[in-house]
Amino acid sequence: MIELRNVIKKFAGRIAVDDLSFTVPRGEIFGLLGHNGAGKSTAIGMMLGQVWPTGGEVKVCGHDVQSNRRAALMQVGAIFETPVFYDYLSGWRNLEILSTYTAPTSKARIREVIEWVGLTGREQSKVRTYSHGMRSRLALAQALLPKPELLILDEPGDGLDPEGIHEMRQTILRLQRELGLTILLSSHLLNEVEQLCTRIAVLQKGNKVFEVNVADVKAARGRVALKTNNFTAAAKLLRERGLIIAMAEERFITLADGHSTADVTQALVSAGIAVEGVWQHEQTVEDFYMSLIRPPAAKN
Amino acid sequence: MFLAQLKNELWKLFGKKRTYIGFGAFLLAQTAMLCAFKYTKWQSDFEKLLNGNGYLASEFISVLTVSVVMLIPQIMLLMPLYATLVGGDLVAKEAEDGTLRMILSRPISRVRLLFVKWSAGIIFAIALVLALGLTAMSFASLLFPWKGMFVFAPGQAFSVLTAHEGLVRFIFSLLFMAVNASVMVSVAFMFSCFNMKPAAATILALSFLFLSMVMENIPFFDRYESWFITHHFKCWLLIFRDPAPWSQICQSEIILFAVSATAFVIGALAFQVRDIKC
Repeated sequence: MIELRNVIKKFAGRIAVDDLSFTVPRGEIFGLLGHNGAGKSTAIGMMLGQVWPTGGEVKVCGHDVQSNRRAALMQVGAIFETPVFYDYLSGWRNLEILSTYTAPTSKARIREVIEWVGLTGREQSKVRTYSHGMRSRLALAQALLPKPELLILDEPGDGLDPEGIHEMRQTILRLQRELGLTILLSSHLLNEVEQLCTRIAVLQKGNKVFEVNVADVKAARGRVALKTNNFTAAAKLLRERGLIIAMAEERFITLADGHSTADVTQALVSAGIAVEGVWQHEQTVEDFYMSLIRPPAAKN
Repeated sequence: MFLAQLKNELWKLFGKKRTYIGFGAFLLAQTAMLCAFKYTKWQSDFEKLLNGNGYLASEFISVLTVSVVMLIPQIMLLMPLYATLVGGDLVAKEAEDGTLRMILSRPISRVRLLFVKWSAGIIFAIALVLALGLTAMSFASLLFPWKGMFVFAPGQAFSVLTAHEGLVRFIFSLLFMAVNASVMVSVAFMFSCFNMKPAAATILALSFLFLSMVMENIPFFDRYESWFITHHFKCWLLIFRDPAPWSQICQSEIILFAVSATAFVIGALAFQVRDIKC
């Protein structure tokens, strides 16, 4: 659904996105993760034909965005971090206005999306009377109007309270489950990405530093947590015996090939070191992200 | 689809309170001027001018005469202000508010979007002039009778017309005023397409118009007056001359149409190459 190939964007000589490439296949929830200013919004801007790339190729729904923007965006919906509307008009009128920028849209379709997002009964009220949550729902409604196959969400959790974030998360999962949408979302909230996405790309200073399946990150079995009465002595012993190849943060060890946690326990107990616990550490996306963005000198 | 987009653009434009600032200001100004004309020396000075030129003043202090008297300062001073205020908002306000980013996530082309917005701006300009002309006549009819028309604009027109001929000329003058207002909207719209705040677009457009007016009035530039846009704005007064200088009027109107189209093209080019970011 989305294909970026060697995309570069410079603003007045400053590189905002540098040689970015990734693809988002149909049906996936793909996360663009990175700090503010990492290049996420610029990358999204290029996908929507709002920002012109300095180099490279951006394809959406099989069409080049620069040369065939209309075809590329025909079945795309987008939501930006702070939903803004024409506050002095009703929610219904806002949807009518925005729908005409894509294709003629029937009243029945507008009614359908209003119902889907749960705004029925408030559609004729002026948007200035809406709460933040209602604005978010209206933003979703406008994105769903053209019956999109692809939904692009730029920092969808920004500015929402915990309840709003939870609702937004459930809605995104519902969108994929019920409507089968492909979703690309950008975020700097690791927790959000971990709970929603099937795959992520991490951006840092305009560069993609990593792209990985979230399931793979979670299942990474390289690290084992070890709790003893003397971690330093235990680690030294295990290293001498060739059972581990690395240790970290006074609580993690990395097993050498061919060895298991049972070997570790046996070695420590036989050496008289009390073992309070040994378990496989399930790496979170946060651990993974921090390990990527931390300066190399700080890594163990 | 274009008509649906235009209709919605008009909803956006006329749904905003600030769009009506111009209409409100014109109403206040007209009320003040009408009272001033009626209850100060203004009317008697006007009558002296007519009598001094051999006309019976009582036959020409009428609805049409007073309407034009009220319109001259408003067209020169207030019209540029309110036309550029709306023109400067057309694109820059949406960019500032963030709604432009939402619109441009849809498959509408930038040029088409601009054309819709510009068309809405032109409709606003026409509506503003129509409202101005109609309210001027309505207000004047409250205090003055329907008789012949006398127009005096130093350097532009000194005419005495029958009521019927005066009405026809007045309708033409409204048409030309609408063209003037459209050009003002177009110039502000052009600046609005660049990456700037709405107020900056309005101020730049006003500066451009005032600079043109100032330079046109410097004696040194007399021979270059046709290069100044404000010189061509005066054709709404030329229509009251007897006989009307149609070739001069047509020439000015063509130049004003060309200025408007050029402003649109420059704005569209600037907007096309721009990156739209939040």
